[in-house]
Amino acid sequence: MNNILLVAILMGIYYWFCRLRCGYTFSSMLLQPVVIGVFVGLLTGHMKEAMIIGGELQLVYLGVTSTPGGNVPNDPALAGCIAVPIGVLSGMSPQVAIALAVPFGLIGVFVDQLRRTTNTFWVHRADKYAEQGNTRGIFICAYILPAIAGFIIRFPIVFIINYFGVGLAKQILVMIPTWLLHSFEIMGGILPALGFAITLTVIGKKELIPFFIIGFFIVKYANISIMGVAIFAVCIVALLTVFMSNKKGVVS
Amino acid sequence: MSAENKNLEAKDTNNTQKYTLTKKDINKCFNRLYIGAEMSNSYERLQALVFCASMCPALEKLYTKKDELVKALKRHLQFYNTDSIPGGLILGIVLGMEQQKANGENVPSDAITSLKTGLMGPIAAIGDSIIWAAYMPILIALFLPLAKQGSPLGGILPLIIYPVTTYILMYYLTHRGFRLGRDAITQLMKNGKMQSVIFAADTVGLMMMGALSANYVTISSPLKINVSGSEFALQKLLDSIVPGILPLAAVFAIYLYMIKKGQNFNKILLAVVVISLIGSVTGIL
Repeated sequence: MNNILLVAILMGIYYWFCRLRCGYTFSSMLLQPVVIGVFVGLLTGHMKEAMIIGGELQLVYLGVTSTPGGNVPNDPALAGCIAVPIGVLSGMSPQVAIALAVPFGLIGVFVDQLRRTTNTFWVHRADKYAEQGNTRGIFICAYILPAIAGFIIRFPIVFIINYFGVGLAKQILVMIPTWLLHSFEIMGGILPALGFAITLTVIGKKELIPFFIIGFFIVKYANISIMGVAIFAVCIVALLTVFMSNKKGVVS
Repeated sequence: MSAENKNLEAKDTNNTQKYTLTKKDINKCFNRLYIGAEMSNSYERLQALVFCASMCPALEKLYTKKDELVKALKRHLQFYNTDSIPGGLILGIVLGMEQQKANGENVPSDAITSLKTGLMGPIAAIGDSIIWAAYMPILIALFLPLAKQGSPLGGILPLIIYPVTTYILMYYLTHRGFRLGRDAITQLMKNGKMQSVIFAADTVGLMMMGALSANYVTISSPLKINVSGSEFALQKLLDSIVPGILPLAAVFAIYLYMIKKGQNFNKILLAVVVISLIGSVTGIL
């Protein structure tokens, strides 16, 4: 299916729906680039390319999944809903797609601020309904109105950029000089470091940082797979908690 | 449900428990909160609106007099924000308290509000460190190699596993909160078990992030240095001392910057762009 119009419409709807946050932990996974990759793959028929770009982009936003307080420092959903389809359809390398994604991740922050500002209207309206004991009205304020406003705020940006972006990207790709292309590659290599650094700050336990270094060098020296590290990590931690509780004498 | 039905129900149960929330009532509230937790999040009162909307089915049943219902609705439109998965506990406890209040027990309105504001901070801290900072990135990371090979399972599996497990957890916590009430919860939070769960989640999370950094942060230098006529590659030298020193340095440089200057995402991004451009033009990277 290579109908750009259809792709653009469906990506706009996808962006609206995942950012609507309908279903607390469901939507938060739906808006991850690697999951967006699945959708783009289904839509365009290029599953492999979509998953590779989605997976690469995911690394940049791995830590962004976990910010306290509901503020979004960067929007993986907008970045993914634009960079993955345009990247796949114009035949970009994952690194170039990441370079394209980054500015949209920033724009996504403003879009979200706009949404949370409009949500203030609904809570005031709900105050009035509460005064009347109108629970139906409160329901509409909490679910229906944010959905409608969200569509108006979110759909157009993704639709327009996807609709015009693919052709434009194809033209620009041919013109990019090699030094710029290489700097995108460097950027694509460094940016995941940002994702991991954010996760470090979110976990926020300085005294536990050695565990991070252990994980890093297990892979560097022994070349173990991610699943392998997970197995070791769980075992080590399980033993540690036993030792620690022994020390305190609370083991029964 | 008509008013008549409610009266019948009230007569059936004995007089001290006029209003009882059934499992079905609690599930209605729970599902509303799970679905809408972030939908109506606003700057002014964050999750207040959805919490009130989630309580509606229960409040309608408990408070048949309009003025009581109005008071209850307004009570739950006050500022509220937490992580809603462990926050199921709060929902459960609050439902329990509202039921007591409706049955004429001495539960002041303030007590309900202060329980919510008192618990939402610690509960959010638990949720952030376990559900969001550890569980979610680990789960994504585990299946990322599949995505890198181009398999859709890399996205589909996390999309199924994460919501299903957290939904079940929240369901369990909501009902447990309702049964146990507020005293039991304060005890649970003090209990050392919670601390060791957080410790375990953080530690596994850190090791996984380390392993992933090793795999996915790729920085190397093509620079060749001329020393007394013989040329040798800088990267080879670095690898022979400590493999992966550049990627590790990059992660920690950004980490330390954020510790000192706060999460200034945009500045760091700009710095990465500038470094990449310079590195490319000069041939250092």
